[in-house]
Amino acid sequence: MRRIGIWIALGGLLLGTAACGGGSGGRSGGTAAKESLSVGFVAEPANLDFTSTEGAAIPQALLVNVYEGLVKLDQDGKIQPLLAEKWDVSPDRRTYTFTLRKNVTFTSGAPFTADDVVFSLGRVRTDWKLKIKTQLDVIDKVDKKDDTTAVVTLKRPSNGFLYALATRLGAMFSRTGVADLANKPVGTGPYQLGVWKRGDSIRLDANPKYWGTKPAVSAVTLKYFKDATAMNNALLTGGIDVISSVQAPESLQQFADPNRFTTVEGTTNGEVVLSMNNGRPPFDDKKARQAVRYAIDHKALLDTAWAGRGKLIGSMVPPTDPWYEDRTGDYPYDPAKAKELLGGKTYTVKMRIPNLPYAVASAQVVKSQLAQVGITADIEPLEFPARWLDVVFKQGDYDMSIINHVEPRDMGIFADKSYYFRYDNPEFGKLLASADEGSEQQQSDDLKQAAKLLSDDAAADWLFLFPNLIVARKGVTGLPQNAIAESFDFTGLAKQ
Amino acid sequence: MSGRRLNLGLVTGGALVGVVVAAALVSFVWTPHDPTLVDAAGKLREPGGGYLLGADKFGRDTLSQLMVGARTTLYVGVVAVGIAAVVGTPLGVAAGMAPRSRGWLSELIMRVNDLVFAFPALLLAVMLGAVYGAGTLTAMIAIGVATVPAFARVARAATMQVMVTDYVLAARAAGRRGPAIAMRHVLPNIGSLLIVQASVSFAIAILAEAALSFLGFGTRPPTPSWGRMLQESQELLFSTPRLALWPGLAIALAVLGFNLLGDGLRDHLDPKLRSARGQEEPC
Repeated sequence: MRRIGIWIALGGLLLGTAACGGGSGGRSGGTAAKESLSVGFVAEPANLDFTSTEGAAIPQALLVNVYEGLVKLDQDGKIQPLLAEKWDVSPDRRTYTFTLRKNVTFTSGAPFTADDVVFSLGRVRTDWKLKIKTQLDVIDKVDKKDDTTAVVTLKRPSNGFLYALATRLGAMFSRTGVADLANKPVGTGPYQLGVWKRGDSIRLDANPKYWGTKPAVSAVTLKYFKDATAMNNALLTGGIDVISSVQAPESLQQFADPNRFTTVEGTTNGEVVLSMNNGRPPFDDKKARQAVRYAIDHKALLDTAWAGRGKLIGSMVPPTDPWYEDRTGDYPYDPAKAKELLGGKTYTVKMRIPNLPYAVASAQVVKSQLAQVGITADIEPLEFPARWLDVVFKQGDYDMSIINHVEPRDMGIFADKSYYFRYDNPEFGKLLASADEGSEQQQSDDLKQAAKLLSDDAAADWLFLFPNLIVARKGVTGLPQNAIAESFDFTGLAKQ
Repeated sequence: MSGRRLNLGLVTGGALVGVVVAAALVSFVWTPHDPTLVDAAGKLREPGGGYLLGADKFGRDTLSQLMVGARTTLYVGVVAVGIAAVVGTPLGVAAGMAPRSRGWLSELIMRVNDLVFAFPALLLAVMLGAVYGAGTLTAMIAIGVATVPAFARVARAATMQVMVTDYVLAARAAGRRGPAIAMRHVLPNIGSLLIVQASVSFAIAILAEAALSFLGFGTRPPTPSWGRMLQESQELLFSTPRLALWPGLAIALAVLGFNLLGDGLRDHLDPKLRSARGQEEPC
């Protein structure tokens, strides 16, 4: 009995992926197939309340699609009007006057007015529980001038303010619609929540009362997969129409046939960081960290671990930010130099990584390359998110780790010395502060300098920029080229 | 023993196991290439040249990985079966030898066994991995613990048969104590059954380790393991199927080998066929 049991278990493992794909295939082919689309994702939200629950999956599904802000980010990272038709900035750059769009209603039927702006931005300070909410601490007060005019006064000029409004922090909530955010989102967006099958999918239905261009498809189903191969198979068998993010880049060859599939390749905000614990030996020593940066052949790493998809950046700034500079030349691959910096010493370090495909693949390359210069890295994959967040992110009990930092414009995390990098350089904090207050030119100059400082200090190593790899069934149009906002924008999706 | 023909299963099983053991032993002193060395230039190298079975997407030599993987496999099997035998056998013997007046002891041991038996090895390993961190050690312990009941049951049933034989009655009449009877009479007589059980459990342990490594709860990267080789080859299944073929074949043959060995040993050591030797003399 026992033997049979395990045979079946293993057989199930090997065949399970195919079975999953087939199973979901049957379901989506129902009525109105022409008007609905299903998109495969990797992480399901724990709930639908991004005001109190961390995690990228919630804004990915809801922002722009269900909730809208006053402004939004376009594909090039520029800020565009959304619920605000236009805005004026006072000469001292401390007062923003937003002119709101008329005839906008929430899906509950309530009209959207300046009162909701006052309410939503005020709620960030009082009710939100996310770490990033401090980005809006710069707001002094929010006033309603009339129904379609809202005035935001800042404590000091801030370049980051308007950008923060384009993230989930700027989402507009109805005063009567926040009772059950975890289950019933109420927004002004082109879609509203249809059905949420926990552990499986979320269906968003088109909002018939939407103020703008109505979406071309009547429903979008977000289908969640734990396993990259299962998601691939679902697309091959017609279970889904789009893979939102390919997690097994070597498998792209399956989708090479242009008569059946379309592949979109663009950039993201995701810097895959090889983090080093600056707060304890051996990586409290700048020379040891620099040695690591010299010891890694980044091109070889990207080619083997992620099939050459992605981009080498060498800093915490993605190419879509205006102050991006190619810093890959700072530490060219030079094992001899690395050995010299280590001064003949050898180290054994704990490399605690999340059990995610890109991290496990990259870690094996890093380990092999570090071994060439005398650093032995013991790889320990931890379950993500819970265990990795607890051990590495919260307790900082690690020497090295590998994680994709996906938040937009997130260089500021290095200014927080309690952050798990344990990087502490007051100079860096000063540069960031002056960048936020200064003119646009000043901001760009300061941030370039800050990125250079991080790179020179070898606060971490930047393995590569995570690619935005989308594969879709032929005929699906309107896929976002770059994933640089927090949301996966469904508004332009169409099916021919 | 002499004069009896070895059966085909035993020979085949022994040969397959022999190959695995030989590959593992050789890997300690020599592999064609460093099995964990990443070589971007040799990515997905075709078989040939110095690379008999080609290389994976990291440019690592498949043959070297298979050899070191055999080591991992055997290591897990030996430790897991060792744990199961060392814990399970005494429990089974104790349960089997318990006199009727202490029937509750036997019942207690066997019911706890049933409890562990109901718990799938993979689930236990995943749970241990989540709490103590995944790795070869936790996998071995989990597989070992989950195999304990198999040994306890076999040992108990066999012990009960031995306990009603005349020579045990004689030993008791002579005033021998329980532990002495267990060592002198019970263990030697149930040994053959335990060996058969061990080889079958070994095969199960190999499969369990491969499944765990496949799921990411077994051997840590980059230490080669057949299960993880399978998992890493998944995304290349359509373009480079050989990467899945070799570790899959290795697992299948090793499991087949141990199962054949177990079956062959059972036939070979079956007490009913041991007419030539007769039963142990009482002392």
